[in-house]
Amino acid sequence: MKFNISKEWCLAAAELEEGTIIGAGDLARNSGPQEFAQLTEAPPDESRIAFGQFITLARRRRQLSVEALAEATEVDIGELLAIEQHDSHFAAEPRTVYQLANYFSVSRPRLMELAGLMRPKNSAVVQEAMKFAARSVSVAELTEQEKVVLEGLVTVLTEQNGR
Amino acid sequence: MTATVTPIFLKNVASGQAINAELLDAVEQQQLIDWVMHWLPVRDKYLHALKTAQAPAAAWPQSAHWNWVSKVVQIQGLLAHRALCVVCENVTQGMMRIDVAGKRCRIASQKGLDLVYVDYLEIAPWNWEGPYFDPPRYRGVGTVLLRAAIETSLAEGFKGRIGLHSLPQSTIFYERCGLTNCGPDPASQWKLPYFEMTPENTQAFLGKGTRQ
Repeated sequence: MKFNISKEWCLAAAELEEGTIIGAGDLARNSGPQEFAQLTEAPPDESRIAFGQFITLARRRRQLSVEALAEATEVDIGELLAIEQHDSHFAAEPRTVYQLANYFSVSRPRLMELAGLMRPKNSAVVQEAMKFAARSVSVAELTEQEKVVLEGLVTVLTEQNGR
Repeated sequence: MTATVTPIFLKNVASGQAINAELLDAVEQQQLIDWVMHWLPVRDKYLHALKTAQAPAAAWPQSAHWNWVSKVVQIQGLLAHRALCVVCENVTQGMMRIDVAGKRCRIASQKGLDLVYVDYLEIAPWNWEGPYFDPPRYRGVGTVLLRAAIETSLAEGFKGRIGLHSLPQSTIFYERCGLTNCGPDPASQWKLPYFEMTPENTQAFLGKGTRQ
């Protein structure tokens, strides 16, 4: 749909925004200290779920089976399956995370954080993205939306110094 | 789907000058990439600044948990829902999701009539205004998106009627734009204030674009 909006209107209307906060939607966050803490400090269990999702997406992008990834990274296939099944109580071995970080070319400390082996400094981005990623696990090829999420995660995981 | 592009203008707050921008009648993959790559890092920076400063709860952005990937995926293939965005200097500056078929007016003078309901409207965090953030980069994103909702309402034959639930910290903006504050909605999970724009107020908004 094409709109017809004049420059004069745009600039006059823009003044309405001065000093305001703009947002609409019926799911506003209840801004309390507890909720804020939840937003900025991810519980380790949720991080582990995100970790499993990341490994699943990254593996599928390379069109690898779990068996092939286990072979390529010299990681026990049973451990990989546990990671990808998003068992929030399963703690991956540090060596496994190290091997996976090397294989997928992401930051080892950040993947350690995601795997719950290190205290997360900031995993809000990963958690937000993973809420979506959790929708699809078994499809052979990544959808366009999953690619977007995965690219965002890779960016976060390859940052060396954090934000 | 290829988006239809409407040229618009935003105000560069630092220079005070108008800058060319675009209104798109779709949210495409590039917008979701922008959300992940550009919006989230700035949002997180602001969240940590707020935490460090021990800012009061009212200062925290109430849309900070929103996931636009989910919001867009939810409406794929649904004819009743549409998404629009504003792009400036090749980066998404704001996004909006609307429902053109599922909601009716509540205020007495329009009760039961069709309207366009704004599901979600958010602007990029670098355009946020507030003492805990950097100075906003652009103004005009929110008003253009609101106008797009109104224009859609006109095109649908709804005479410009729109409705939305305002974030509690955003009520001043919608009042300035001429929407009627119907008060806290008891049906809303967080009892958010519900606003509607009547055909009369629509004309004032489209015609003047100045403070009511």
